[in-house]
Amino acid sequence: MLAPYLPIVLLFGLAFAFAFFSVAIAPFTGPRRYNKAKLEFYECGIEPTPQPQGPNRFPIKYFLTAMLFIVFDIEIIFLYPYAVANKALGLFGLVEIVIFIVTVFVAYAYVWRRGGLDWD
Amino acid sequence: MSAVISTAGELTNGQVPLGEAVAFWILGPVSLAGAIGMVLLRNAVHSALSLVATMMSLGMFYLIEQGPFLGLVQIIVYTGAIMILFLFVLMLIGRDASDSIVETLRGQRWAASLFGIGFALLVALSVGRAFKGSKPVNLNSATTNANGQNVNSIAALLFTKYLFAFELTSALLIIAAVGAMVLAHLERETPKRTQKEIARERIRSGRPQPLPGPGVLSSHDAIGTPALLPDGSIAPESVMASTPGVRELPALDNPDNIR
Amino acid sequence: MSHLLLAETAPIHAPSVAYSSLSPIFIVLGAALVGVLVEALVPRAERYAVQMVVTIGGLTAALVAVGLLHNTAETTVAGALAVDGAGLFIQGSVLVLSVMSVLLIAERSVDVGSAIVASAAVVVGSPTDRRLARTDRVQTEVFPLLLFAVAGMLIFPISNNLLLMFVALEVLSLPLYLMAGLSRRRRLLSQEAALKYFLLGAFASAFFLYGLALLYGYANSVDLPAILNASKASPKSDVLLYVGLALLLVGLLFKAGIAPFHSWTPDVYQGSPTPVTAFMSSCTKIAAFGAIMRVLYVGFNATAWNWRPIVWAVAIASMAVGGIFGLTQTDLKRVLAYSSIAHAGFILVGLVALDKDGIASVLFYVLTYGFSTMAAFGVLMLVRDADGEATHLAQWSGLARKSPFVAAVMTVLLLSMAGIPLTSGFIAKFYVFKAAFHVAAPLVVIALIFSAVAAFYYLRIVVLMFFAEPPENGPTIAIPGWSTAVALTFGMVVTVVLGIFPQPILDLAAKAATLVG
Repeated sequence: MLAPYLPIVLLFGLAFAFAFFSVAIAPFTGPRRYNKAKLEFYECGIEPTPQPQGPNRFPIKYFLTAMLFIVFDIEIIFLYPYAVANKALGLFGLVEIVIFIVTVFVAYAYVWRRGGLDWD
Repeated sequence: MSAVISTAGELTNGQVPLGEAVAFWILGPVSLAGAIGMVLLRNAVHSALSLVATMMSLGMFYLIEQGPFLGLVQIIVYTGAIMILFLFVLMLIGRDASDSIVETLRGQRWAASLFGIGFALLVALSVGRAFKGSKPVNLNSATTNANGQNVNSIAALLFTKYLFAFELTSALLIIAAVGAMVLAHLERETPKRTQKEIARERIRSGRPQPLPGPGVLSSHDAIGTPALLPDGSIAPESVMASTPGVRELPALDNPDNIR
Repeated sequence: MSHLLLAETAPIHAPSVAYSSLSPIFIVLGAALVGVLVEALVPRAERYAVQMVVTIGGLTAALVAVGLLHNTAETTVAGALAVDGAGLFIQGSVLVLSVMSVLLIAERSVDVGSAIVASAAVVVGSPTDRRLARTDRVQTEVFPLLLFAVAGMLIFPISNNLLLMFVALEVLSLPLYLMAGLSRRRRLLSQEAALKYFLLGAFASAFFLYGLALLYGYANSVDLPAILNASKASPKSDVLLYVGLALLLVGLLFKAGIAPFHSWTPDVYQGSPTPVTAFMSSCTKIAAFGAIMRVLYVGFNATAWNWRPIVWAVAIASMAVGGIFGLTQTDLKRVLAYSSIAHAGFILVGLVALDKDGIASVLFYVLTYGFSTMAAFGVLMLVRDADGEATHLAQWSGLARKSPFVAAVMTVLLLSMAGIPLTSGFIAKFYVFKAAFHVAAPLVVIALIFSAVAAFYYLRIVVLMFFAEPPENGPTIAIPGWSTAVALTFGMVVTVVLGIFPQPILDLAAKAATLVG
């Protein structure tokens, strides 16, 4: 019943074992030379835009991006059953899914033209 | 592999296979603990993360119950996208922001808990009674789920019987996109500055060269450490204004600081 | 494992779609898509005019389509939608009233821009906000959002399938949550209203979904006729059926603003832009009653003995809450909100009848109430002071001396809501009570008592307008532009004409009172 998932479980196990092994073996194999500078927090990169409104706060830009991501994520979810059954669905299925995609594409056109995808 | 499965089959309890029973007793407590943690944890981010645990366990439940489509959607959409949105919203409000614990209506908290528990009991008891004695059905059989082709069966329903609801979902997605833009997108009032304009402005500003880098090489590797000017004073422009906790330069005469 | 990947699949065949019967829905959805494209492609200066043309054009075309369909009675898309007399009557009412709401939204002469905010994303009270408030810029997305809401309202009452009904419920609700937050004046109040409406609405939707799931567990289908058949002969425990129906009703009663699920109504009606409030109080209510009627009459016809007491209880609760709390309000928008709760109770009285007369009387009632409340909110837009609309009752005292005409219009509308003869409200109440009297005489008596209580607070406002002293620096009466003038005149004329010659519309409602399932 769950046999198809066995390879996935094995892969999970392998990934976990590798991660655990890497972390566990490091203290025994690597050299240990501490200094104060090593314990400092380290950041690099360009100055973030847009600037946050206060400490520990994200700009609303991220929210907008995440929201738009969800919209198109859900669109893709509907492509999954279509892709699996597309042989059985035939032409009318293609027409239906194209109507769906074109309709959601209207939202994409709106977001794009109004600058929702520009970062700055 | 099939030998392992068939030996496990003999160990099954009633009509539920062993693997399913084991998975249930592992995932059940995890999902419950996640849900309780979401309500009780003080830190909103921890709360959201414990909801992730609940949602992941639910996704696994769906997979085990022969609903791979629902299971994957649960993991991709809920834990993958919606929980991230939750976290963004939490960070937008501020991780440190806490709820006001003042009750605006006296006794509201108690009344709400009482009604909530009462409602939960009512629904749990009545639904439990309604399903008492019903036999579990193998969802992999030909009659219930077309020989385990769950996704095919969903497609067959989605594109025929629920065609209208499916196409209407696209309207819902458009409304969501338009709504997000209306509420959160500030339109640019002036045209975007071109590179030429930026370069001109920079030359005219009297400081064409970049700002000095932070003093990461002196004793610290933190970007919050300011650089020193030749006379030993601090160069304030060398540190980003947004860096949390811009620190004072450590006293160099203390040997403790330069190990 | 290989059989999972390589199994032969039988071909799936397309369901038949009766495109002509669904044409009103397709027209409105198409207009909404065009509206979103207009937002994307047309420069800001022309957007307002183009959106007006698209919106009013789309709604009018859909109304014509509904008129052409008047004799249809069929189910389509594999039984998911039932186009029938009652459904078409509801659709027609929603379309007429939504055109009037668009006309109210289009009002640009009493306030700079319109009642809709210039840019909803700008922080309230910031310098940009203050600057934009003085320009004629408008968040024109309100028009496509309204079209989407109307499309949802057209589908909601004709869904014969609870899953489609849920999607339609969301399509009509999501734009309303957004539109509630788009007020140009008192923006914080408006945003608070939007948030409250959204949170409570999401909660109610969750109840609806839970009920749907339980009903699926009971009937093994979410089609209303299948649920009806299962309720006649199902071996399963009836607990699922009744708990499912109860949870389903929570979601539906919430949308119709019926006590005890009414608590959002006053705050949301007060905070939303007034034309949006007018839209919510008329169109949403009509669509919600259409859906309640279909669920109860098609899906639960055989179990009427079990849900009738629930309808009795919520009808009485609604009339009581609307009548008694309405008395204590000092803000006119809140008074009208409580009035809408009370009216929802009266409409439920008609639903108890469970026959053709009941359906016809409910159809007539929602239509006449829609016109009266639409026009009443339109009048509210005209009485203004420096901060926008002057909705406090004290500011309305002695209004008749400043503008006898506006006071007279408001009086007629209030009398119609109170159910005084020679107005449409009286006829509507009369037919609802008449339809319900032979099955629920005590309920009708209670309803009569509460309509007397409610009449008191409508008359209190009338007395205030005509006989009280006007306040110092009272409000001014704005001269409406053409669009508000048209909408107000139409609402007013319909209210009076249906009070004197109701027969044609009564006949239409009686003819339309069929539900296919």
